[in-house]
Amino acid sequence: MDQFYGIFLYVISLLTMGGIYAILALGLNIQWGFTGLFNAGIAGFFAIGAYVSAILTTAPSVRHLGGYELPYIVSFVVAMIVSGIIAWGVGKVCLKLRADYLAIATIGIAEIFRLILKNETWATNGPRGVSMIPKPFESLPEPWNQLAFLGLILATVVAIYFLLETARRSPWGRVMTAIRENEKSAMAAGKDIEKFRMEAFVVGCMLMALAGAFIAHYLKFIGPNATDPMTSTFLVWVMLVVGGSANNKGAILGAFLMWTIWSASEILTSRLPDELAIRTAYIRIFLIGLALQIFLQRYPKGIFPEVRPKPERRVNPAESPAGR
Amino acid sequence: MIEFLNFYLIPGLVLGSIYALGAIGITLTFSILRFANFAHGETMLLGVYITWSLVQFSGLHPLIVLPVAAMLTVLAVLFIDRAFYKPFRASPTIMVVIASFGMMLMIRSVVQFIWGVQLKGMTQGIQRPMVFFDSLRISPKHVMIISATIVLMLAVHYLLSRTKIGKAMRAMSDSPELAKLTGIDTEKVVRMTWIVGGALATAAGVFLAIDTHIDTNMGFKMLLPMFAAAILGGIGRPFGAVAGGLIIGVVEEISSYPWIGTEPLLNPGYKAGVAFAIMIAMLLWRPSGLFKGKVF
Amino acid sequence: MKYMGKFLFAASALAMSAPAVSADEIKVGSVAGVTGPIAELVDPIIAGRNLAAQHVNDQGGLLDGDTLRLVLSDSACDPKAGVDAGGKVVNVEQVVAVIGASCSGATNGMVQSVTIPAGVVAVSDSATAPSISELKDNDLVFRVAPSDAYQGAALAKLAYDSGVRKLAMTYSNDDYNAGIATVFEKEFAAMGGTITANQAHEPNKASYRSELSTLASGGAEGIAIFAYYGSSGIAIIRNSLENGLFERFFAADGMFDTSVIEQIGADNLRDRISITQSASDYADTSYQAFETAFSATGKDPKAPYAAHGYDASFLVALAIEKAGAADRGKIAAALREVANAPGEVIRPGEWEKAKALIAAGKDINYEGASGPVDFDANGDVVGIYSVNVVGDDDKWAISLLK
Repeated sequence: MDQFYGIFLYVISLLTMGGIYAILALGLNIQWGFTGLFNAGIAGFFAIGAYVSAILTTAPSVRHLGGYELPYIVSFVVAMIVSGIIAWGVGKVCLKLRADYLAIATIGIAEIFRLILKNETWATNGPRGVSMIPKPFESLPEPWNQLAFLGLILATVVAIYFLLETARRSPWGRVMTAIRENEKSAMAAGKDIEKFRMEAFVVGCMLMALAGAFIAHYLKFIGPNATDPMTSTFLVWVMLVVGGSANNKGAILGAFLMWTIWSASEILTSRLPDELAIRTAYIRIFLIGLALQIFLQRYPKGIFPEVRPKPERRVNPAESPAGR
Repeated sequence: MIEFLNFYLIPGLVLGSIYALGAIGITLTFSILRFANFAHGETMLLGVYITWSLVQFSGLHPLIVLPVAAMLTVLAVLFIDRAFYKPFRASPTIMVVIASFGMMLMIRSVVQFIWGVQLKGMTQGIQRPMVFFDSLRISPKHVMIISATIVLMLAVHYLLSRTKIGKAMRAMSDSPELAKLTGIDTEKVVRMTWIVGGALATAAGVFLAIDTHIDTNMGFKMLLPMFAAAILGGIGRPFGAVAGGLIIGVVEEISSYPWIGTEPLLNPGYKAGVAFAIMIAMLLWRPSGLFKGKVF
Repeated sequence: MKYMGKFLFAASALAMSAPAVSADEIKVGSVAGVTGPIAELVDPIIAGRNLAAQHVNDQGGLLDGDTLRLVLSDSACDPKAGVDAGGKVVNVEQVVAVIGASCSGATNGMVQSVTIPAGVVAVSDSATAPSISELKDNDLVFRVAPSDAYQGAALAKLAYDSGVRKLAMTYSNDDYNAGIATVFEKEFAAMGGTITANQAHEPNKASYRSELSTLASGGAEGIAIFAYYGSSGIAIIRNSLENGLFERFFAADGMFDTSVIEQIGADNLRDRISITQSASDYADTSYQAFETAFSATGKDPKAPYAAHGYDASFLVALAIEKAGAADRGKIAAALREVANAPGEVIRPGEWEKAKALIAAGKDINYEGASGPVDFDANGDVVGIYSVNVVGDDDKWAISLLK
């Protein structure tokens, strides 16, 4: 019985982390999938969200800035706003760069954020991180607290999904696709490309910050090691590519699928003798990389390929009785 | 003043030489294959570990086994190109950039799997520097690194300007369509690009290992400064990459010189950010780099 | 897609079938930063944990001859992975206790979001952040590694007692080293010493010459280094000696490794370096019992926190035995009893003796390889420290700091 209860709890944690990654992947999908912006600095915006929300909600501590003990909803919103403002600044200077250059620039910016978090000890406790972060619903008894937190995450994912789907089908979304596919003709059609790209970049980064805020409360601790480029940037890219970029369903599926593989594959390797288990930790990373390569080559569109919204049906005056 | 020379400028030049050698490969791949190769740091890592194994096996000096190690590394890189990059030649470049992103992880985990994560040294003990004029100190290994870098750069220059394949590389970098029309075997040029890039990356890694030590994170740590050097010099300009490497190496070091008072100008904790900052500034103000490189 | 589906099915089938516990196996989680920035340090720690488990299993096993099995899980030194790894061992593997999770950050996340809510006792063998003592942990978090408040003070005293009054210091900007450096700075100044300059440095840079030159300009008699030997420590010593910037080094235990001597050379370091280490007196019977057994595995018994790994694992085994059942709550309650006085002293490797005593209903008091491991109210141990210098045999020679 304990065994099934344990697996039940583990599945909750898988879904919680999967959901947080789904928010990251949806944020990236707005940038890359719909608009074609290669943001390789996801970890930076994720970290901003995590730290802002952590500092705003923790009890006073001598180790870091804080003691505001604000309600979660405020800290989530502020985290998104702060990230949005920073993204606007970054976008202002970087968005005119083309894909590869933008990737290099955003990686550099994310690393600079990380250096700031590590060195400005007065605010962030430097490399030691912020501890004892409160977690929503933690006063509920087990497992209801975990279920409630999962509910919060999943509800957010669903809400974001519907918002993005609506946006995608709207004229705004179609302009985005047009920009990605053919910038020049979009420009010729009189669209302000800079503005649209900026909107996509800022909204995407705000979602990344929201995911960061969730992770800080979920872990109850945040430190610079939690925002390393490997699991905070690269893994999200794999998720989006595998799930299917430019498809919100794909982004969500990719996130849950890849996080499950990432996490659960260790349950298998931990059965090996230790010497081997230590080494297979690297093989897991290798296999994740290989999975990405296989998907890129065999299924470049991912599990759920992009579906273009159908144009609204034009009413042919000749067929309509009123047209006569 | 002599302090500045000994501890800021010379180390900066040594580091810069290493960045420069790596940046040449990046700039060539970027201009000829048209993509930012994120796995380049890891190519360097692989080269270093191969060299280390050869040194252990043969007991020879790293510089003597370097050509063999470079050859093996190049073979690995050619295999990677065939298996993972070639399928995307006709696709949007972004696909191959993501592929190289994945390759970065794969190479690193293979190295960690085979060689383990324990720290390794290419050379043991310490080397006291030679002292000139009673105060100028320069260590023999630094003389060696800087002079070997110069030799390699001259070789690259000769290759690109005097040989047929080198000229073809430059033609393809300038205009791939035109190069194809004039009957250049593009796949041959691509192979040559990987050969030059892989060999120089191995050399850069081995020099770094001789100056310090070997660990499995060195590739990623070097990647961004090398990108920065390539962009600073201008994409497709090998000598620009060299200049960019030297500038970034030197600026990184002198950023923490106590220019004002006795405190370092920039907290050395931020030293790693200097290269990124230069790179981003360059991308914004002059994406073609110092030497009028290409912008895609 | 079809293949993906099959793969997933197979994987989930394996995952589901795997946790079926055989009746005679008691599982303990062994969470460690197997991959990630301190992977090279973690290897000997895991070996320490495994050696203890082996001793238990070779000498009669747990309870009614049950096997103690350590389930390894990777925290990657990342709080995200730490929480995930903790969740896997606690929920899927149904372990009765957890050892780990290496880095302070990963441990902090893991205990707060997994083990404390689940009521599972966690014994850390290398997390040293003082913030862990402050957690509301329902007495479920223990550390055999002392909080770094102790080591910073011990090193400051060592430096001051050796006659040095003016020191420069530099620390690698990571959670472990930054913590010790902060304490050291305060303590050394409180004793009357002067810190001429204090700089953080970013690990894994190729050269530290410019940092060292700036640090040396203040006229310090030596330098205190807080770094891992691999990511920056060796480079700092090498750069210092090669350029004649510093000749006297004080360092904390992240710097302690045989490769320091191998890389720099014993003669270059003799009479120049002193490294504090959280460890027993090497003349201590408990330590020697561990050393003999651990050396046989081909690993270095003096590696940082290897002895702590052994102690954590052995203590958990003792607590299970004392609790008399593989019951999470009882084990947590028994841990303090087996670690602290009063009771008959048990040393590393003496599982059979301990088992017999517990069966006879007697109290025991484990005196570990890393020290007496007596837990205080916070579940912390008082650190005892040794100092390492280069001995005549070109190896590290150790003596206890009083």
